[in-house]
Order: sequence, then C-alpha cells, then structure tokens
Amino acid sequence: MLEVRNLNFSYTDKPLLKNINLKLTPDGITALIGPSGCGKTTLLRCMALLDMPQSGEIQVDDQVFRYPWAENVIFTPPWPKLTTVFQQLFLWPHLTLRENILLPVRRRHIADTNGELDALIDAFDMGSFIDNYPNEASLGQRQRVALARAVMLKPRYLLLDEITSALDVEQIAKILTYLKSLRGQNIGIFIITHLLGFARHASDQVIFMVNGEIEESGGPDILKTPKTERLFNFLSVIAAAS
Amino acid sequence: MTVLNILITYHMAFLQGLRVTMELCLVIWTTGIILGITLGVVGANAPHSWGRFTRAMSFAFSAIPTLVVLFWLHYPAQAVFNVVIDPFYTASLTLSLVNIFGVGEMVRQAVRDFPRQYIIAGRVCGLSSRDLVTHIQLPILFRQLIPGLMVQQVGMLHATLFASLISVEEIFRVSQRINSTIYRPVEIYTALAFFFLAVCLPINLAAAYLKRRYTRDFSER
Repeated sequence: MLEVRNLNFSYTDKPLLKNINLKLTPDGITALIGPSGCGKTTLLRCMALLDMPQSGEIQVDDQVFRYPWAENVIFTPPWPKLTTVFQQLFLWPHLTLRENILLPVRRRHIADTNGELDALIDAFDMGSFIDNYPNEASLGQRQRVALARAVMLKPRYLLLDEITSALDVEQIAKILTYLKSLRGQNIGIFIITHLLGFARHASDQVIFMVNGEIEESGGPDILKTPKTERLFNFLSVIAAAS
Repeated sequence: MTVLNILITYHMAFLQGLRVTMELCLVIWTTGIILGITLGVVGANAPHSWGRFTRAMSFAFSAIPTLVVLFWLHYPAQAVFNVVIDPFYTASLTLSLVNIFGVGEMVRQAVRDFPRQYIIAGRVCGLSSRDLVTHIQLPILFRQLIPGLMVQQVGMLHATLFASLISVEEIFRVSQRINSTIYRPVEIYTALAFFFLAVCLPINLAAAYLKRRYTRDFSER
C-alpha cells in the first residue's frame, strides 16, 4: 500500500501541495491529471521520497514517513521497491542505453536480466538503438529506455511523470499496452499524464489536481461525468484542443 | 655543429638535465594530482571551510606569477627564517603548490557542479552510495576532468624551466650552460624544443587517446 495522508509542501511561503490525501491502487494504475503548474510533479517527487514535505505522512507498505522529518532519524527510503521515471529521464550519459538499464539491475543482483531485457527490447522496439549512448538517441527513445530501466528493477510501486510526452501515437499505444499488461504483477503504477484516453481506458483510479489540491478523484468514469466544474472545464478545454 | 652533433657530444649533460627535469615533474605531478584531487573533493564537500580555502589559494597562485613565488620562497623566505634549502626542493615545493591548488580548484568545481539528477536517478534505482560514486560520479568526473588535467600537467612541465632561475640543474639550465660554452643558440634551443616535443608528444597522445576513449559530447538531442 502506498498512501499519502494530509501532505503539505512548499518551497517558499506559497504552498504547492495542500492537504493531499490519496491511496495508490495496489496492482493497478492511478492516473494524475491537471493543468500545468498545478503541482503534479511536486506531488510525485514527494511520493518518491525525494522532497521533504512540511507536514503529513507517506506510507509505503509497512514503512511510514512522518513529516516534518525528525533530524535524528535516519531516512531510509525503500528504493527501488518504490521507483520513479522522471520527465527529464536522467539517463547516465557515459553509459550506453543498454548499460543504463543493466547497471542498477546488476548492482541489485536481480536475476534473469538478459531474458527479461530481450523481451523489453522487443516490447518497446528498442533493438535498433539499445547500444547507442543517450545523446545519440531521440527523446522518445530515451523515454522508452528510462521506463525499461525502472521496470527491470521489479518495483512494487512505479511512479511515472509524463513518460509518453515525446512518443508518437504508435509508441504511446505500445507503452500503454505494456503498462496495462503489468496488471496482475503486483505493481502499483502512478502516472502523470495528459492522455485522457489512457486515463479513461486503462486506469483504475483518476485524480484531478488544481492549484496544489485534489479537486476530484474516483474511478475513470469521472472523466465522463465530472462532478466538479473545474474538471468539467478542464476536460472541455482538452476536448476543444484535440 | 648540427643539432644532432650537439645532442651526441653533450648527451651526458642533457641526460643529467633531463633526469632533474623528470624528477621535478614526478614530484609536481604526483603531489598535484593526489593532493589536488583530495583537496578538490574535500573542498566541494565542505564549501565554507576547505572550499573557500581552495578557492582563495587557487586564486592567489593563479594571480601571483609562479616566478615571484619561486623567488620569494628562494630568497626572502629563507633569509627571514634563516635556513638554506636546496633549490631543487624549493622549486618542487613552489611548483607542487601551484599544481595542487590548480588541480584542486578544477576538481572542486567539477564535483560542485556535478549534475545532481544523475545521483537522484541512481538513488531511485536502488544504487548504494558506493555504487553511485564508483559507477556514476567518478566515471563522469573522470571524463570531464581528463582534458583540463592533461593541459595542466603539460603546463607544469613547462613551468619547470623557472627552476633554472634559482640554479636547479634541469634541462633548460644545462642547455644555457652548453650554449655559453659553444655559443650555438639556434641549434641548442632547437634541440631543447625537440626535447620538449618528445616529452610532450606522448602526454598529448595519451590525452588525445583518453579523450577519444572516454570523453564524449554528452549533450542530448
């Protein structure tokens, strides 16, 4: 179980996250949607235990992280059981894409890397560029590699920040089909996305965020029949744009 | 007398000068790289104490000409403290200090500016602190630092010529003494130029190899 309780976060006096409460669907997909700058990535970074909120709790299975964090308590985040794919990807530039995927897997002594990597290379169409360096690959190719790097670590919780932003329609379909196929493998996926179609058809839970607050959440049907005016307007704007 | 004739006739003197130059380089390069890297890493991790110290000393050594420091340590400092130190040690100390703080500042800046996102990516992938240092930080820093470090060491080799001015019998001083005997400046300084080419060429080739092998343009499309 990954649960966020009463989370508040700010960099300055202006709060960026206000009293956030959410529970990740275990073994399912939770989609986070909302306008740019509403705090989606900040929330993901807090959930990934990379930023320290001012108050609240984050529970990852039996580990509870209570904030403000006591200075004398050692911070031991459960990485890579809880892992993240960042929007900026952060692939290591001195390693090939294949090495980027294999380094953490090998250092963590995770077995059967070759067979699983080959399957991922096929699933993500990475065969033609897997031995290139990150700067020799396009953003879309790097996005697939970053996702593969995270998946290979067999995480319990996978947090994804707009990982399909640079992919073409065909690649998006492949990645999303793959994510859907992870159902039943005991992985809780949290994905920030602008793809309402994906949120509607693949997710088990949808959260809509505005100005650092959760405005509305529920099953994917909230995207068909929104309860709040803000979500209705947001969906209308996106529908008009597309 | 041709360049070759001079080299053959005075080969013992040249070899002796070469030995002293190489000894100087050995001291300067070893201390500069070991202590400089240590100082740089410590300076980056303790920016308000060692970091400031490294920055200040590096600035001082880059602002004050090496020759001034060398002369100051050779003449007034020894007079003030009433000691007589072998010029070889004075030159070694001066040039080592220049190299230590030059390398230290280079390393401090590289460590300080190391992109944090690569560390964060490693952490969420479950890499240990040791893995992060050995597999991520060191290889990237090594690649960034190679060209600058090589240039700095070649510069220090050239700076050993200053030691001749406080009577260290290194290759330049040997060349000057031979020139004062046979007065063939063109041939002698040409021979000296060839010597520096011969010593610098392997260093430059090694630098080029390391650069080709390990440093690449990291910028992403």
